Amino acid sequence: MSDVTLTNVGKVYEGGVRAVEAVNLSIADGEFCVLVGPSGCGKSTTLRMIAGLEEISEGTLEISGVRVNDLPAKDRDIAFVFQNYALYPHLTVAQNVAFGLEQRRTHGNALTALLTGANAARAKESAAIAARVTEVSKTLGLNELLTRYPRELSGGQRQRVAVGRAIAREPKVFLFDEPLSNLDARLRIETRTELRLLHRRLRATIIYVTHDQEEAMTLADRLVVMHRGVIQQHASAQECYERPANRFVAGFIGTPPMNIVDGRVENGVFECNGARISLDARWTTTTKACAIGIRPDRLRLGAAHLEGALLATIVAVEHLGDRTDITLDSAWGRLTARVDADSAREMREGTAVGVTLDVQHAHLFELGECGARLNGA
Amino acid sequence: MKRNPLTDALLWFVLILGTAAFVFPLWWMTVVSLETPQRAEAAITGSGGIALFPADPQFSNYVNAVRETGSTPWMGFTDALANSIVITVLVVIGTVLSSSIVGYALARLRFRGSRALFLIMLGTMMLPGQVTMIPLFLLFREFGWIDTILPLVVPAFFGNAFFIFMYRQFIAQIPESLVEAARIDGLGHLAIWWRIALPLCKPVTAICAVFTFIGTWNDFLAPLVYLHSDEQATLAVALNGFKNQYGGLEDVHLLMALSVLTMIPCIVLFIAAQKTFVEGLARGAVKG
Repeated sequence: MSDVTLTNVGKVYEGGVRAVEAVNLSIADGEFCVLVGPSGCGKSTTLRMIAGLEEISEGTLEISGVRVNDLPAKDRDIAFVFQNYALYPHLTVAQNVAFGLEQRRTHGNALTALLTGANAARAKESAAIAARVTEVSKTLGLNELLTRYPRELSGGQRQRVAVGRAIAREPKVFLFDEPLSNLDARLRIETRTELRLLHRRLRATIIYVTHDQEEAMTLADRLVVMHRGVIQQHASAQECYERPANRFVAGFIGTPPMNIVDGRVENGVFECNGARISLDARWTTTTKACAIGIRPDRLRLGAAHLEGALLATIVAVEHLGDRTDITLDSAWGRLTARVDADSAREMREGTAVGVTLDVQHAHLFELGECGARLNGA
Repeated sequence: MKRNPLTDALLWFVLILGTAAFVFPLWWMTVVSLETPQRAEAAITGSGGIALFPADPQFSNYVNAVRETGSTPWMGFTDALANSIVITVLVVIGTVLSSSIVGYALARLRFRGSRALFLIMLGTMMLPGQVTMIPLFLLFREFGWIDTILPLVVPAFFGNAFFIFMYRQFIAQIPESLVEAARIDGLGHLAIWWRIALPLCKPVTAICAVFTFIGTWNDFLAPLVYLHSDEQATLAVALNGFKNQYGGLEDVHLLMALSVLTMIPCIVLFIAAQKTFVEGLARGAVKG
């Protein structure tokens, strides 16, 4: 078992800057957990606290049920994959992969082993390390590269070596800090899939940090969305997308982002700047100032003077092949609609359209940056 | 880029002229070392003009030079050579180890007053050696170290401000993530210094080693001040002794032969380490 539990873990830097508020998080054995959020949201700090690279200011961190707050990084049995890979430049790929194992051998020093007569044991150890390096390089397709130096490798190859170095030691927990952000777009998507497959094969506990919500959604068993050092939502990617806990998550998860408009709901009608849209039965009894959130693919575009529709002007049409993103200006401000390629054919920039909503898929949020989602009656 | 042959020619001319200016004294020294005694003396006094090649190369000069210094056994060339090698090797090892470990500490460890210490250390570079020479001599005399190699060797193990500065700057450029990766792999600071920082500092170590080697090998003042008995003399001191021993110029060809021999290790080392000088830092450690 290698589960990770954070109880009220917080980080305050010298000088009183608070990077992470009391984080409560429990990551199960074998889970692929992704911490996601904009830069400066505290996700990397949280990961580095788990790794032991940052001191934990408050709270308790447990790995496999053991409190490890004060344990140095090397004793936590974790592996860390850095954004810039951090391969040892003066060592070959094979030596890089073996480095962690070499550090952990009982008979590290050849001379001491010779003097204490532990030579045979040392040789056995060396053979085991060599076997492990071979096994790992086979898994990751590094066989051809073993004698090369990091500077002779491409970005993608370095990334694989970094992963190889991590898995060679068979740690309890893998920590990834934006490992794909230095790769080009195509390689990133390929590697993403490889990581997912690797996780399935190793069945290891993985905590992964990224700012890319798409990467987060494709990889995660469970997403942890962070903002300003606070966990905003902790759920499956699907859940975060369909039932965002608050306005921040709603706006952060999903591309293009959800349309969110401040206004007021009264008698089942949402109103903003005089433009009204009727909502569904959930909201008939609610009366309050709030924000409405609706995903771009839940906007319907029709004739300009359609009854009950919001009048809007097409500002931009972006063709993406199978679908088209349409930017609109309306009384509700700027909105984005996503329509299928066929219906986008007759849309021209500068023309007027009537916008209606799939109101059963609309969300209402409290006002404010992280306003909670309202549950209708 | 298209190159103008005229500019090229001019450039080559200037470069060759500059090289010749630097190489000529060495070449002339070698020429004189191969002359017969009479011609060598003539060359020194200027009565024979400047010969660019020895008329009748006397390679036996070298054998005689090494052997004849032995006629006064205490100042044998081989003894002095051994002294020079021992002192130089110890000083190079000491300077590289101590400078790099202090540089590592100043670059990587955060402790109270580290900045002040760094500045004070830099300040000592402004101090001319002559200022500390007498106090140091008195100090080492108190220790009873006079006429031993200790005053020459032991200070090297306490770092050299300039090389500490170089190591510090170089080590500060090593990406933090490399050090963190090493920590996770189970290395302490001492091991990180030895196994990560030092191998990555090869260019600095090359500069440090070569400059220290040349400086120590050619150092005349310090051995003269601290090493009194003739058995302790280093090559630089012994060469001078050799000159005084004969006073006149009749053996100048032998003096030149010894000078050439003394110079060889420095030149060989310099050429060997030249490539490492220009080698970059952590290429491949991070994307870039």
